[in-house]
Amino acid sequence: MALNPFFLQGAQSEQRLTQDLINEHLRTFGVEVTYIPRKYVSRETIMEEVTSSKFDDNFSIEAYVNTYEGYSGAGDILTKFGMSIKDEVILTISKERFEDFISPFMAGLDDGSDTSEIILSSRPREGDLVYFPLGQRLFEIKFVEHEDPFYQLGKNYVYQLKCELFEYEDEVIDTSIEAIDTQVQEEGFINTLRLVGLGQTAEASTSIGSGFISKLYLNNDGSGFTSAPSVVFSPSPANDTARAVAITTTIANVTSIEKILFTNRGSGYVTPPTVSFIGGGGSGAAATCSIETALQGVIRINTLSGGSGYGTVPNILIASPGAGVTATGIASISASGDQSTAFFNQDDIVRFVYVDEPGKGYTSTPTIAIANPDSMAGVGTYQFNEIIKGSQSGTEARVKNWDVDSYTLLIGNVGIGSTVSGFYTGEEIVGQTSGAKYACASFNSDDSNDKYNEGDEFEFEADNILDFTESNPFGVV
Amino acid sequence: MLGTYFYHEIMRKTVIAFGTVFNDINVRHQDKTGKDISTVRVPIAYGPRQKFLARLQQQPDLNKAVQITLPRMSFEMTSIDYDPSRKSGVTQTFKAQDDKKFKKVFMPVPYNLGFELNVLTKTQDDALQIVEQILPFFQPGFTLTIDLVKSIGEKRDIPLILQNISFTDDYEGNYETRRALIYTFTFTAKTYMFGPIADSTDGLIRKVQLDYYSDTNRQTANREMRYRIESKAKKDYNEDGYIDQLDDPLIPPGDDFGFTETREFFDNSKEYSPTRKVDI
Repeated sequence: MALNPFFLQGAQSEQRLTQDLINEHLRTFGVEVTYIPRKYVSRETIMEEVTSSKFDDNFSIEAYVNTYEGYSGAGDILTKFGMSIKDEVILTISKERFEDFISPFMAGLDDGSDTSEIILSSRPREGDLVYFPLGQRLFEIKFVEHEDPFYQLGKNYVYQLKCELFEYEDEVIDTSIEAIDTQVQEEGFINTLRLVGLGQTAEASTSIGSGFISKLYLNNDGSGFTSAPSVVFSPSPANDTARAVAITTTIANVTSIEKILFTNRGSGYVTPPTVSFIGGGGSGAAATCSIETALQGVIRINTLSGGSGYGTVPNILIASPGAGVTATGIASISASGDQSTAFFNQDDIVRFVYVDEPGKGYTSTPTIAIANPDSMAGVGTYQFNEIIKGSQSGTEARVKNWDVDSYTLLIGNVGIGSTVSGFYTGEEIVGQTSGAKYACASFNSDDSNDKYNEGDEFEFEADNILDFTESNPFGVV
Repeated sequence: MLGTYFYHEIMRKTVIAFGTVFNDINVRHQDKTGKDISTVRVPIAYGPRQKFLARLQQQPDLNKAVQITLPRMSFEMTSIDYDPSRKSGVTQTFKAQDDKKFKKVFMPVPYNLGFELNVLTKTQDDALQIVEQILPFFQPGFTLTIDLVKSIGEKRDIPLILQNISFTDDYEGNYETRRALIYTFTFTAKTYMFGPIADSTDGLIRKVQLDYYSDTNRQTANREMRYRIESKAKKDYNEDGYIDQLDDPLIPPGDDFGFTETREFFDNSKEYSPTRKVDI
C-alpha cells in the first residue's frame, strides 16, 4: 500500500500547515495558562537537589486540557500527613509557540542580576510551574512528553505537560500577577511581627532629699527563689521609707537575686536601715546599705506620662547638680494594654523609672529627660512579597500580609541569619521595596496560621503533665 | 465485674508528651552565598483524625492551590504491649494523697506503647536536617517525666526508646509518580497503666487511748489509769481566727501538728467499749 501521493510526507510546507492548524486549534479550544519558570536559588550538588527555588516570571500560553473531564490523579485524600490533593492534569502546548514566545525570554532571564540560575531554556522543563486559572491552582510539571502524537508528517508539533499539583515549602512566588502570587499567601511557615504605630515620649519628674540610701551592698544573693522576694527596709524617722524591688536571675537551675532597683531611696534616715528579703521561696539573701545625710540626692523619680511605643528601654538623662555626683535612672517598660487582647504589647509604655544612682549635691530638683521611643511614627505600607529587613539584626523576611489596623505583619522566609531569635524588639523593620518603616514590638516565631500543625497544642497540654525541671534539650516547653 | 469507672488519660498524656518532644524542630535553607534565607519550623500532628474534621480544617475553601505544604511530621500510636520485664506484685499497693484524703493505689501495670514518627520532606537535605536534630538525643532512650495520674501527683519516668529508623526514597521509576521521601522512626514508650484509685480507710491517727490495769488478769484486776494522746492543730484550719480544738479534726495528713496528752485515774471496774465509745 503506497503513501498518499498528494502529500510529500515531510515537506516543510506541509509541516508548517499542520503546525498552524494545531496552533489555531489550541488558541480556539485551549485555556490560557501561565508558564512560570523555576529559578534555582540553591542547588545541593552531592544529593543533587534544588533546595531553594523562586518563581518570579510569567509567560502566558494557550494550552489544551487533555483531561477535559476533570483532573486525573488520586484526588483529595487524607494521609497520615493531613489532607493531600493529588490532582493531576495533562496540558498540550504548541512547540512552535513555546519556542517563539517563551524560550528566548527564558534564555535572557539568567542575566546575572542575582545569584539564582536558570538552566535550559529551549523547551518546557520538569519542575517549572503552570498556573491553571480555571481551578486557580499551581501545577508542577512532572514530565514533558515531546513525541505524542508521534511524528506526524515527519515532525512533532506539541509538548504534552504532565503536571501534578505543586508541593509548597518556602519557594518565593513573585510573578507580579496578584491572582497567582496570593495563592500561597497563607501557605507555608508564617511568623508574626507586631509593630509599633505611633510613639510618644514619656515624661517624669524627680524628688530630692537627704538622709537617703546612697549605696546598697548585696552581701549574699541567696538561692532557691521561685519568684522575686519583697525587699523591706526598716522605717525612716521622716516617714519616707525606702522601697525597692529585687530582680532575680537563674544560672544552672539556681535562682538568686541579681540586683536591687530602688523606686524610692527614702529620706530622713539618720542611721542605715536594715534590709530584709521576704517571700520568694528562697533563702540566704542578705544586704546592707549606707546612707547620705549631709547632701541632697535624687530619692524618687515620678513617672508623669508613660508615653507609648517603647519597644526597648529608653535612656534616662538627669541634670547635673553642678558640683557633686549626677544621678542616673533606669526605665522599666511594660505593655499598656489588656493582655487578653490582640493588641497587647503593641504600645509599650514606661512604667517605672528606678533611681540607679541618687547622686549628691543637688540644691534644687533636677530636670529629667526620657529618650524618645524607637520610632516616633511608623510610616508607609508594606507590600505583599517584598523583602523586609531588621535595621539592627539584619534579619530578612518576605511579607505575607500587612494589617495596618492592628500593626501586624505576617512574614515568611525568615532568614534567621546570625541572630538567635530573628528580629530584635525595638529595631526598625524596613520594607526594601515600599520603604515602609515601623519599630518592632514583638516577634513571634510560632506559626498560628498552619491548620495542620498541633505543636502549640502539644506544648500547652504538656505544660500540665510534663516535668522538665532538669531541662528540655529539644527546646522551650 | 470490671465496671468501676476511671479514666486517667494515660495514653493521651503519653501521646502529648511524645508530640511535645518533636515540636520544635527547624529546617533552614541558604542561598548560594551561604546566607540563611528561610527557617521553617517543622509542623507536627497526631496522624489519625476524624476525616470530615481534617477536610474542614485543612481545606475550608475547597479550592487549594497546592497539594500540600512540606516538610511535615506526623506520629501515631501503633501498638500496646504488656511488658513482663517490669512486672511487680499484683496485690502490692501504695498510699498516695489526693488533697486531704489518703488513696490506696494498686501498683500500675507496665505497658509498652509503640509509636511511629513519620517525616515527609521535599528534599533529602531537609530530611537529613530533621534526622540529625533528633538522633543525638536518643541513646537510644530519652526519658520524660510525666504526671500520669494528676489526682495523686504520680510522676513517672517514661523512657522513650528509639527502636528503629527506616526511610523510603522512591526516586526510581517513571516520571508519572513523584519522588516520596519519608523517614520513619519507631519508638517504644515504657509507660504504666493505673487501675481505679480507691479511698483508703487509712488516714491520720488522730487519737490514741490506752487503759492501764493493775494486773494482766483483766477479769480480776481493775483499770487504774487512762493515757490519751490526741493530735493538736498548729494552724487555723477553719479560719475562725483561733487555733483551738475545732481545728484539730481538720488537720490534713502530712501536715505538721502537735499533741495533747491527758491522763485519767480510775478506781472503778468499767471497761471502754470501742464500738459505743463510752465506759461501760
